[in-house]
Amino acid sequence: MGLASANTSSEGMQLCVFDLRRGQLEGQELDKILFFFPADLPFSTQLSVIGLSEGLITFTRIFSPEAACEVIEAERHSHVFYEAEPDIWMVMVVEKSKGLEVIWRIDALREVLKEVHSLFMMFNGSIRAMLEREPSGGVIRSHLYPFIMDYLSDFLVGKKLQLPSFRDCLTERGTVQMLTVGREAAIEVQSLVRVLESCAGATPCHSLIFFQDLLVSTTVSPDDTINLFTYAVLRLTPRALSSGASSWSYLRKGSTASHVAAGSTLAQSASVSEHLYRSHDNSPGRDDSYHVKRPLQHDKWAKGKDGFLVTDIWGAEIGSSVTVSPTIWLRQTEERVYLCAYQYKGLTLILLIPVSSILNGEQGVSLVKQQVLENASLKMLKVEEKLSKGWGGENAYHVSGYRYLLVDDDRNISRASPPVKVATLTKESLLAMNKLREEVDLEKSRAKRNGVDQEKDLEICIRAKNNAWVIAHTTRGKELYMVLEKANETLLYASDAVEKFSNRYCGGTFSLD
Amino acid sequence: MSGKASSSQHTVGFSGSGGLSHVYIQYPPLRCRIPGSRGLYYDDGSKLLLGPTSNQVFSWKTVPFDPHVAPTSDSISEGPILSIRYSLDAKFIAIQRSSQEIQIWHRETGETFSHKCRSESESILGFFWTDCPLCDFVLVKTSGLDLLACDYESKLLDLVETRRLNVSWYVYTHESRLVLLASGMQCKTFTGFQLSSAGIVRLPRFEMAMAKSEANSKPVLAAEDIYIVTVYGRIYCMQIDRVAMLLHSYRFYRDAVVQQGSMPVYSSKIAVSVVDNVLLVHQVDAKVVILYDIFADSRAPISAPLPLLFRGFPRSNTSSSRFSGKDGESAEANISDHEAIIYGDDWTFLVPDLICDVANNFLWKIHLDLEAISASSSEVPSVLEFLQRRKLEANKAKQLCLAITRTVILERRPVSMVARVIDVLVSNYSYSIKTGSYLKGIKVERTSISSGAHVNSPRSSANISASGIDALGKSYEHEPSARVENESLNRSSNISTSDSEDEAHFESLKNTTTSLQKLDRENILGAESASNEAQPSSSQSQHPGLNNNPLNASVSERQELQLASPAISPDEMYSFVFAPVEEEMVGDPSYLVAIIVEFLRSTNLEKIKVHPNLYVLTIQLLARNERYTELTLFIINKVLEPSKEVAMQLLESGRQNFQIRKLGLDMVRHLSLHHDYVVLLVQDGYYLEALRYARKHKVTTVRPSLFLEAALASNDSQLLAAVLRFFSDFIPGFRNTSDHHTYHRILSEMNSAIAT
Repeated sequence: MGLASANTSSEGMQLCVFDLRRGQLEGQELDKILFFFPADLPFSTQLSVIGLSEGLITFTRIFSPEAACEVIEAERHSHVFYEAEPDIWMVMVVEKSKGLEVIWRIDALREVLKEVHSLFMMFNGSIRAMLEREPSGGVIRSHLYPFIMDYLSDFLVGKKLQLPSFRDCLTERGTVQMLTVGREAAIEVQSLVRVLESCAGATPCHSLIFFQDLLVSTTVSPDDTINLFTYAVLRLTPRALSSGASSWSYLRKGSTASHVAAGSTLAQSASVSEHLYRSHDNSPGRDDSYHVKRPLQHDKWAKGKDGFLVTDIWGAEIGSSVTVSPTIWLRQTEERVYLCAYQYKGLTLILLIPVSSILNGEQGVSLVKQQVLENASLKMLKVEEKLSKGWGGENAYHVSGYRYLLVDDDRNISRASPPVKVATLTKESLLAMNKLREEVDLEKSRAKRNGVDQEKDLEICIRAKNNAWVIAHTTRGKELYMVLEKANETLLYASDAVEKFSNRYCGGTFSLD
Repeated sequence: MSGKASSSQHTVGFSGSGGLSHVYIQYPPLRCRIPGSRGLYYDDGSKLLLGPTSNQVFSWKTVPFDPHVAPTSDSISEGPILSIRYSLDAKFIAIQRSSQEIQIWHRETGETFSHKCRSESESILGFFWTDCPLCDFVLVKTSGLDLLACDYESKLLDLVETRRLNVSWYVYTHESRLVLLASGMQCKTFTGFQLSSAGIVRLPRFEMAMAKSEANSKPVLAAEDIYIVTVYGRIYCMQIDRVAMLLHSYRFYRDAVVQQGSMPVYSSKIAVSVVDNVLLVHQVDAKVVILYDIFADSRAPISAPLPLLFRGFPRSNTSSSRFSGKDGESAEANISDHEAIIYGDDWTFLVPDLICDVANNFLWKIHLDLEAISASSSEVPSVLEFLQRRKLEANKAKQLCLAITRTVILERRPVSMVARVIDVLVSNYSYSIKTGSYLKGIKVERTSISSGAHVNSPRSSANISASGIDALGKSYEHEPSARVENESLNRSSNISTSDSEDEAHFESLKNTTTSLQKLDRENILGAESASNEAQPSSSQSQHPGLNNNPLNASVSERQELQLASPAISPDEMYSFVFAPVEEEMVGDPSYLVAIIVEFLRSTNLEKIKVHPNLYVLTIQLLARNERYTELTLFIINKVLEPSKEVAMQLLESGRQNFQIRKLGLDMVRHLSLHHDYVVLLVQDGYYLEALRYARKHKVTTVRPSLFLEAALASNDSQLLAAVLRFFSDFIPGFRNTSDHHTYHRILSEMNSAIAT
């Protein structure tokens, strides 16, 4: 993983999580720090970052008690704020460098904070709840640290953390990418969903179905869908499973000699930080056998013989080699569910079984799994066949001539030109689009602040310096961003292009007049 | 075997006291007692039961079966009567007077003429009328077949053709148009001819299997051991092998006879009936009947052997005396002792579904008790398949199917099982749509109701329903016939080489039948004969001798049976299954949603349109459970197809969830319901969008005042001004309307208020 060694160079980014309700007394300031990256920064520096953030939050709350500080733009740094839970803040400090390569979009950075927190919540429940259970803060720290480090490791390119930059302006974090299916396939999918639903007897199970990296069906709330989608794409889908092996090999080469070594480095750094935290905690040490789950760790999922994905992240049952089934929290229903993932070719299926409905633990789960195999495997075969027949491949949603991003805010769904196609755009176009998106973000947050529940239409077409059209169009909860390079110079052409696109691919949403 | 027989005996005892049964005969029977009767004859060609006396023939119509039908009579000359049949057009009566002589009687004029055998060496075994184009009348003699044409003018039966061969006895049913001629020492060598309206088809000679009891004894096959059976438009021959205690079945193809399999028998006396394409094997001694549905290849009985039930007998004396009338008390006394009567020695089984009680002169019609049959099996999909194949009581079968489907859903049986049930119903519906029997059934229902006592309507309905059966029979055939084809070709070539005389004949026949074979590639006999089935009844309806009253009765009876097929349309599925089930069902509706999804899957496979009400119901179910994510997926993926009803329900359900409302709005827009869309936009406060949309799609039906009022309500002078300006610009003459004046004034007041 080598993140620890990467931090030491300490360029670019700091990330902290702190609780405003803690450490209010003089001399106990360290208590409020729940997480700090890089961990090996001196406490004084850590405290100064947090102190500044806290000061700004307190100050801005005077004017805007509901939504305090969002961002500070300093000369050399940007501070991105995110209030993850009441009084629990996440702040990301990014260095503005002179190079063009690091131009961010603040909202995209905030999405990163939001995402890691949502995922953490899914696996561990809320930070506040953990703090209430164990007020010393040791448990939450020992959970947050490896979790966020594992999460950040996904942004490692070589030795450098690469946060979402302007190059990613035609993507939207925190949304779900869906597979477009025909009616027949959709019915088959729904038929499968119904079978899965009834697999655990009386209590209905939830399920999500993926094809490759795209969502096909879900029965959980949009928030939970996003989390599970994110997790599945990161760790569970066939590509995630296989790339775990291939892509990490070159990273290992870059950072440390062997995987074991990398792990030990990280463990070392973790223990260092633990030691540091504990030293000022004055709390008695936790039981050493206490298990800290690291669901975002790489290479921990594998496909079992029966098609179900297995992992030892959740540990093994004492005295047996049977691994403990993963459990997660659903945000909407606040219930704990077992997470069973099944894979057949390109099809990944996540079954969520309420813990309350399974009486005898692992045995009960494996019984449900057996039920799934018995009742649904035929349907899964059929669905997989139907979906793969109708799938256009990686570039299925490429529309030639267009580089676009389509976001449905209501349903948290996005669709975009494939990354390889976006990569063909010139830097100028991307920068212009990044800028435009920032403007739209601003407009959106302004509308939200003013409490206007009506969604205004917005249409902006910009002729960029490189003669590309950079277009943003929002209407009633849907957003369309588009870059047209090598296009005709008239505005009429640009709006025609949008109209054509809208009629063909968005059901005419953006061509109302 | 003996154990089985005794066990079945046991069930008789048990059910004799009104127990279980799948087949019943309904009281009252058709009473055909006439003084001086010389026995009863059943003519399956004209479907008449004939009771000749010394100088008269009484005839009762048996189709449609009406126990109170009055006999018609024709006077004939005195003389011995060996056999009697009406011609198919009911103009002539043919009476076999002796083994040498047939007498033909013209009913209108009363003129007669006789036909005699040429040589003394041959004798007449029997005769029948035919609708074969070559001849009208077929005489079966010990020396072969005589095909004769009836020449009324010259009072002759002209010999058209003779087929020479030795005949011991023969079997013929008009239903199949097939005559089987038995020959040989054991009478087990058969030659068959089908005399259909398309011509004569000679079947290859074949032998029936007979087990030997001992090495030397050779059992002789008797005529009563052979039954020609027409099921689903296919022709089978059932042969009783008394030694092996088996009932062999043979299926007839145009060029081959293929043994199909055997069923065990538990009685020395066996009779076979067919009711609504279900094969009934009466085990007369055991007094039970076994049902087979030989639609599929399976030879397994539908259900356990159960006795024939006697139904509807009035037990109180008052009611029986009402009916007794001229028939006298003796008959009643006999019937009341019905346990003795069931499978009595005097019972004669008539083709296809009648029982004649010769001793009492009763005619019973056998009915299937569909309820009992469907209740006896737990294998619901196969029960439904069985019911869906029933044509005779299509309406009843349909109601049963609906009830069963409702029950399995209400009982929350496994979805996979209900899915199979739904598949059966949907594929049958799709099939009946393709063959047209479903739509025709409905059409006929409508016309016959409107035209009431019109003479033609029953005829047309009879034709249609028959053709429906025909078509069904034909295309259900595909697979088995294709399989048999090769085999049958081989066999036929074998036969023709061994019999050179026949070979030539076969060739000539081939020429005449090639065109038919093109039409009917499956080489099934009987397909066309089934289609002609309705002819006798139609010709009868034109007959002057029959007055209109019984016909009218038949119309009313037919109205109930109008449905040509028990197929259930998606609309009916909605109104008779899903809607009532939804009302009755309590608790989590996800089960019902699962069932609906299976239904949609099934209909989508068969490319059948689903009633939008079902979609509306699905939306309601999902919205009630607040499963908006899934509902969204259902809409986006068009699992619930867009329609105005669906859109309106989405808007309705969208009161709780704005996202769903948006889906509804989008659907309204996609459906180009411009007026609704504009009104909805205004409702949501999107005035300018509404105006833009109205202009683009030229919606002129929305009143300007609607917008103006809305704009005024928003208390935004800019908005009001914009709206006012829009109408002034785009509606000619708007400036002169009172709306314009009113709002213009209001606007200027607002502006002046702001200015000050």
